Amino acid sequence: MNPSNSNITRRRVLTAALAAPVISKMPWVISPARAGSTVNLQFMYPVGVSGDINTIITGMIADFNEQHPGIVVEAVYAGTYESTEQKVITDIGVGAPPALWLPINSALQTFLGVDALEDLTDVAKADDIYEDFIGGFLDTCISDGRLYGLSFQPSTPVLYYNKAALAEAGVEAAPETWDDLFETAQALTIRGGDTPSRWGLTVGGGWHDWIFEAFCRQNELLPWEGDKVLWDRPEAVEALQFWKAMVDVGCMAPSSTWQGSANDFMAGSTAMLYHSTGSLTNLRTSSSFDVGVAMMPKRKVWGASQGGGPIMIAKNQSDAHKEAAWTFARWMTSTDVQAEWGMATGYLAVRKSSWETKVMQDYLAKVPEARTALNQAEYSGAYLQVPAYARARDVIKSAIDRTLVGEIEPEAALTAAATDMNREIARVMRRQRG
Amino acid sequence: MTDMTEPRKAFASPVAAFRRNLQRARQGWLHLLLVPVALLWVSPLVWIILTSLKTRTEIFHPEAGVLPAVLRFENYPATLTVAPFGTYLLNSILVTGSIIAAQLVTITLAAYAFARLEFPLKRFFFAIFLLQVMFPIYATFLTNFVTLRDMGLVNTLPALIVPFIASGYGTFMLRQSFRQVPSELSDAARLDGCGHLAILWHVYLPLVKPTLVAFGIISVVVHWNDYMWPLLVTNSDSVRTLPIGLGLLAKADSGADWTRLMAGTMIVIAPLLLFFVIFQRRFVDSFMHTGVK
Repeated sequence: MNPSNSNITRRRVLTAALAAPVISKMPWVISPARAGSTVNLQFMYPVGVSGDINTIITGMIADFNEQHPGIVVEAVYAGTYESTEQKVITDIGVGAPPALWLPINSALQTFLGVDALEDLTDVAKADDIYEDFIGGFLDTCISDGRLYGLSFQPSTPVLYYNKAALAEAGVEAAPETWDDLFETAQALTIRGGDTPSRWGLTVGGGWHDWIFEAFCRQNELLPWEGDKVLWDRPEAVEALQFWKAMVDVGCMAPSSTWQGSANDFMAGSTAMLYHSTGSLTNLRTSSSFDVGVAMMPKRKVWGASQGGGPIMIAKNQSDAHKEAAWTFARWMTSTDVQAEWGMATGYLAVRKSSWETKVMQDYLAKVPEARTALNQAEYSGAYLQVPAYARARDVIKSAIDRTLVGEIEPEAALTAAATDMNREIARVMRRQRG
Repeated sequence: MTDMTEPRKAFASPVAAFRRNLQRARQGWLHLLLVPVALLWVSPLVWIILTSLKTRTEIFHPEAGVLPAVLRFENYPATLTVAPFGTYLLNSILVTGSIIAAQLVTITLAAYAFARLEFPLKRFFFAIFLLQVMFPIYATFLTNFVTLRDMGLVNTLPALIVPFIASGYGTFMLRQSFRQVPSELSDAARLDGCGHLAILWHVYLPLVKPTLVAFGIISVVVHWNDYMWPLLVTNSDSVRTLPIGLGLLAKADSGADWTRLMAGTMIVIAPLLLFFVIFQRRFVDSFMHTGVK
């Protein structure tokens, strides 16, 4: 937060970089601080969660600009994750990328595919990034052992539950395993007519592929590798069969939308909800009952998929811009800034040291639910980082939807989805190479 | 027709009142049919207004009624702090106004040429115009972006206007209308010594007013609400438009901030609503009083 902080950082970066044998690869790190001349940077970001994030981000950037003479960062709001990606890709396409941007972490391979990202490994190693960042978060920006971004606003799915409904049904604790989850969901369902008047469980639609990946991880499967998806593995099939079983007994809603599911939870039409940690503040303040937050129940292990995004730096820009961009990215992910950011938004602070600050400790004492997400972060990892991830998301979502409405069996759906997608990935990679 | 009046019977207890009502109902049966339709049509608007006056918990609380417990106007100022809506409003008016003004000129001239002039390759060019209608706007985003960048217009107000000053759709609509105008009228005008522009101004345009109005409404609504293109070509608040401000309130990760989203929606649609209410009679009149059948 204070200027001296970042000065020390820069000095540390410089010393370490001078000592390292990689200087020739990073001329921009050792370039002298350009006193007098101003570097203008564009930072494109989406707004993903409620709260006045736009005001918060522009405020943070104003603080940064004030503390860093010589660098002027321009905040460019770019809509959703999707439209941000489109805007940045368009700018990259015409050869004028923004200095930094904030995509969803799944887009890593997409940007690497167009060779747009600056490799930050060495400069980050010279700094304290590898020591202080929470490992699972940093992993989302790593491809082939190289670092291409700094996690800025990570989130994971968590299990929200209606405390009043649990008490009413005589359930004492939130479910911890899939079996518990099944039982609890059944106990909480209130029947009436064709559809229950209260579902036991709803999985937030629209991002249910993200939540499904968490289920795969709980079953000890990472359902993708660098260049293929593994949805046809028995662990994934079992996860989908589990969902289908809950839908079949009528305790889980077969489909929902992202916003609709949150609304249903707040209105009491569903007693438990899988949704993003980013919704914590909104759900807590807009519900008329006490909201509980639990780690997602496990099967073989705890597991979660990482949402949210890192700040990435463009490769195609001058060294002076890269250096300034690093200063900015480093500042946005510094201890105090991250603590404030996490408390204001519900995103998880990325640094271990952020969680130890006084303000954060006070906040956790007041909102203990926020700690659940941190505890779960230990078991979380990157989400669907394959080329053409947007298409992959559509394919798996459609396979899940068709299974849950009973059009197709889980195994057949997942096998077909994996085959289709792997063919598509191969095609995209061929095109990128050629 | 009699079964239309059936529901009214339930409300009438004295016979005289019943007769009177029946009579009135017979005269106003059309109203019986149209009032529910009108209510249906107005209901989203009413819901938007009511929601914008509620608190966040009230919206989803199962016991809360349709009406807000207390009228809370603080959502409006709270919405205005999210983004500079004043600047956005001014930009929206400038952009939409310029687009429609430019379009009316270009489509009139182009449609006249296609409808009444003879020139080589006329059919071919017209086919190309029609082809342009068939391309979804998203397909041309990148090429338009590159063109504007070469012109140095990215992140300026003209960038929001320039790609839309011609309209294949409008040209097509207007050409069809022009062709329905009897050629005797223009021939008569020509005998009186009118040139092309004078004929267009004195004969054609007054007769195709309904088409112009219909196209104007469609075009204004489309460009007023356009989101993706302004988002793509602008970076600064000073040149952005209202829908981008609205986008700030619809959150992807956590569910919408309904109260302020609806307050924002009111702010965005209010100028259009006002515009339509003021000019409603004029719009309707232009459809009723026209010589062209």
